[in-house]
Amino acid sequence: MLHTPQAPLFVREMGLPTRFSLYVLACLALLAMDARYSALAWLRGGLNTALYPMQQILAMPWEWSQEVSGFFVAHGELKRDNERLRAERDRMRIAQQDRATLLSENNTLRQLLALPARADSVPHVAEIVQTLPSPFSRKVIINRGLLQGLQAGWPVVDATGLVGQVTRSDPLTSEVTLLTDNDQGAPVQSLRNGLRLIVSGTGSDRLLEVRFLDMHADIHEGDLLYTSGIDGTYPAGIPVAQVVRTEPPRNTPFARAYCRPLGGVGRYRHVVVLKPATRRP
Amino acid sequence: MMPRSSATNARPLLPQGAELATPPSRLKVMASLFAALCLTLLPWADELRWLLPDFTLMVLLYWCIHAPRLAGLGIAFMLGIVTDVSQGLLLGLDALAYCAAAFVALSVHKRLEGFDPPRQTMQIAPLLLGKEALVLTLGMVFGRTVADWRYMAAGLVAVSLWLPLAMLLDHLTGRPALDAEPA
Repeated sequence: MLHTPQAPLFVREMGLPTRFSLYVLACLALLAMDARYSALAWLRGGLNTALYPMQQILAMPWEWSQEVSGFFVAHGELKRDNERLRAERDRMRIAQQDRATLLSENNTLRQLLALPARADSVPHVAEIVQTLPSPFSRKVIINRGLLQGLQAGWPVVDATGLVGQVTRSDPLTSEVTLLTDNDQGAPVQSLRNGLRLIVSGTGSDRLLEVRFLDMHADIHEGDLLYTSGIDGTYPAGIPVAQVVRTEPPRNTPFARAYCRPLGGVGRYRHVVVLKPATRRP
Repeated sequence: MMPRSSATNARPLLPQGAELATPPSRLKVMASLFAALCLTLLPWADELRWLLPDFTLMVLLYWCIHAPRLAGLGIAFMLGIVTDVSQGLLLGLDALAYCAAAFVALSVHKRLEGFDPPRQTMQIAPLLLGKEALVLTLGMVFGRTVADWRYMAAGLVAVSLWLPLAMLLDHLTGRPALDAEPA
């Protein structure tokens, strides 16, 4: 036989179709187990932990090229950046003072009304190390995991708004499902009139939608949507989206609104995972 | 290049010259499959993901055709599981697609081996495209979600890259070019 120095003289094994059907059965069993029950989390976690160092090594040349090109930045550009950042820091300081007074005022008011104090969450900074190129979902991998105390379910934000949610935690890494994923949603409230809605992903990085909107809902182009905090997952007050256009009901009894995500979904390398604070009664 | 003793254009019945000196070894098969897997694990740009061909499958199919005893269903299954984990897909999705593609290639490998790379492309194209379609369909069925059908384009890119890949691997194993000099 050609190219088969190891070929035995007499073949003693199952035929190709039999072996193939066994493998197909194994694959179908795996698929069903993974899709219906999360019985294979340990296998996936173990393999991911083994693959992670390899992916880090493969990404190294790219990181180096980034660093080298970053090294040759003109002096003038650095100076401009520095000035801009200083101005921004001053603005932030003023805003921070404002926030402190508002917070104390809010707390006093809450005490007066005998409402529970607002819970603050603990931030963990993480870096996006990989995006998952899947035709079915929008997910990224961050470099913080179970060992750093991260757990599935925690919200992920960046400097400008909500990014997504941790959906799986492996020892070294975590999987974040972005807000723009088809199956992801977030409860929000309109900043203008307090209308409560649910924003869902569409699979595109630049578009979110509000499905099943009441025909007469008071929602207009330009409305800002913030998390309402009533689901117990996302803390209240994180910017989520801005309404781009609304669509009257067609074929269905419901209207729709399309929004632009405010968080840098799919843009930045660093994100903040919020550890939910234990709610005090 | 290699010495061709025959004065005719016909392909010799047995491999000649360098091919006999450098048959595909287990090491070569494993190393090339590993290299292909690494190629898919590189941090490709997000916008180009849907055009990224499945290098692992292409190399796997090449070996299924040219060294069926060294690359079979077992290797296809394991590579599929690793690919599934690295891409965050349902476990077994790529494994099933790889096994199916390897099965078809293995069952007709004797015929495929007789074609030169350009003609092979036409024979391999349904396999590469069918794998993408199978993954998208199965993912939709088991994941109960919608698929981004742009990813079919990855199959077309893979088809167009088959010729260079086959020629490169032919070169590595010292297979004589079938369409070499006409006497």
